[in-house]
Amino acid sequence: MGNYRFHTPDGVIDILPQECSVKRKLETDLRELFSEHGYSEVETPGIEYYDVYASGDFVATEDMYKMTDKDGRIIAMRYDGTIPVARLAATLLKDEKPPLRLSYIENMFRFKESGGGKLREFSQGGVELLGLDNAEADAEVIALGITAALKTGLTDLQISIGQVEFFRGLVEEWGLSAEDAAELSTAIDQKDIVRIEKTAGRLGLSDDAKELLDMISNRFGTYDVLDAFDQKVKNETSKAALSNLRAILDALSDYELLQYVSIDLGMLRSLDYYTGMIFKGFTYEVGFPILGGGRYNKVVSTFGRELSAVGFCLGINLCLTALRRQDKLPEFVKVDAIVGYAEGEGMRKAAFATANALRETGLKVIVDTQGLSEEALDAYAEEHGIDQVVFVDEEEDTEEEDT
Amino acid sequence: MITIALSKGRLAQKALDLLEAAGYDVSAGREESRKLILEDEKSGLRFIMAKPSDVPTYVEYGAADIGVVGKDTLLEEGRNLYEVIDLGFGACRMCVCGPVSLKDKLDQIPNKRVASKYPNITRAYFEGTKKESVEIIKLNGSVELAPLIGLSEVIVDIVESGRTLKENGLDVLEVVADISARVVVNRVSMKMKESEIVPMLDALRKQVAILNAKKEEEK
Repeated sequence: MGNYRFHTPDGVIDILPQECSVKRKLETDLRELFSEHGYSEVETPGIEYYDVYASGDFVATEDMYKMTDKDGRIIAMRYDGTIPVARLAATLLKDEKPPLRLSYIENMFRFKESGGGKLREFSQGGVELLGLDNAEADAEVIALGITAALKTGLTDLQISIGQVEFFRGLVEEWGLSAEDAAELSTAIDQKDIVRIEKTAGRLGLSDDAKELLDMISNRFGTYDVLDAFDQKVKNETSKAALSNLRAILDALSDYELLQYVSIDLGMLRSLDYYTGMIFKGFTYEVGFPILGGGRYNKVVSTFGRELSAVGFCLGINLCLTALRRQDKLPEFVKVDAIVGYAEGEGMRKAAFATANALRETGLKVIVDTQGLSEEALDAYAEEHGIDQVVFVDEEEDTEEEDT
Repeated sequence: MITIALSKGRLAQKALDLLEAAGYDVSAGREESRKLILEDEKSGLRFIMAKPSDVPTYVEYGAADIGVVGKDTLLEEGRNLYEVIDLGFGACRMCVCGPVSLKDKLDQIPNKRVASKYPNITRAYFEGTKKESVEIIKLNGSVELAPLIGLSEVIVDIVESGRTLKENGLDVLEVVADISARVVVNRVSMKMKESEIVPMLDALRKQVAILNAKKEEEK
């Protein structure tokens, strides 16, 4: 029998003071940022009925942490932020007039992912913009996503933007079955040229179509890419997708964020979930995207309300990992100052007042609890790396010195 | 610096040959030593020599930017990667094999027991493609033994020449997939190191095209 009392379960970790302080600061900054942009924070429960995630086929059964309640109903731990917010928008907030701007910062639990900086319990901050189905809203969410990632202190940032409707238009134009479309989209998403060519051959696609598939896998850029594709495609759905992307780029240009962005029409993950623009954000030193989002207009309707939706979430733990590996974590100071006091009436009271005055200026201050003499206090400060020592005694009210 | 994960052994040597032909200085990778990381500051390349089944893991997590690995390993590991080039070498097939007497009769056996070193590929093939539940027995080597000794009815394994099968009275019953060496790329590296990785992939593709043309000629 194992004895696990000294250990944390697989995929979950203790976060120590330095990283914890950075993480809390980051969460506070994000909260402020979301709020400044008119997104109201909500808190959904840490556990949901399994049906919330399962009914829309949003999440694979084996990826959820599950348990049963006393009536035998299946409960799932919070898997993501979007689906509970969609449930909320369709139920408790059903009478709120759209658009709704909601945000969350929560811990998520996913059973499968582990290792390489990906944890089974991790924090995400994200927003949902509900009830606005246009490029302006798409761009607002992407811009806020980029701003949020930059706010963490990361500077090397790459954002890839795709549009799943572009591929859907091709599927219609070429008359592909759902199965063939899935096969092709998986191959494209993995840039698996061999499989793309094989599938294209099997489906008897035209040379024009094959050239288009090659472009999807290899062409990245901004307006130039959109122009190139615009000349190639004929169907309305794909053309509309391109003009949606063009409008998004125009808006991002006005947000002055265009330099972070590149178009990648080969991003075709979760086609059942996304219904329009999709995007991902990358930085150095972590092998996974730190940022992801897109438009998913059918999610809220699973809960009985027709409401379009676009949103993103930022992986807070992944950002921390990137900051650590890029040597960008700020220096951590546990305590800035220690206040000691001499024996005598009123001394302790004066020390408490002194400490509070220092805290008012933003310092982290402790008061000596061991009755240390002035010399002993200096030694203590030296040993614990405390910069500032204040000793309150009878002659003067306070006496400051730096060690 | 680009980190390339190679599958220790023959595949690694062939991959280095190809990179060299594509104009890269791979002398670091050829160093005869027990070192697991071989780095060359000048050429900007770092090679890590890994167990083949670990290569997709290194690349998925971004510990390596690029990997060279067999399609069999990719299918078995099921990692989330870009799979960008078929190098053409290391070609073989993943097959369902069994006694010759089972030829064309595979579907008639209910509740099959299938032995394999590749439980995930086996499950995906029988449950996904054939819509059939089977009992999978994971083995680590000499899989051909299983049907001979009655541990399983059939096996799923890599077939190159088919000689081992023949000598043991077994044969290929169904082909699961064609296998060859592939180049895989981490999804983040592809974006963050695009200016280094894309030219490398283009150069490799050119070399593969030359190799394939040669092969055609020889035929």
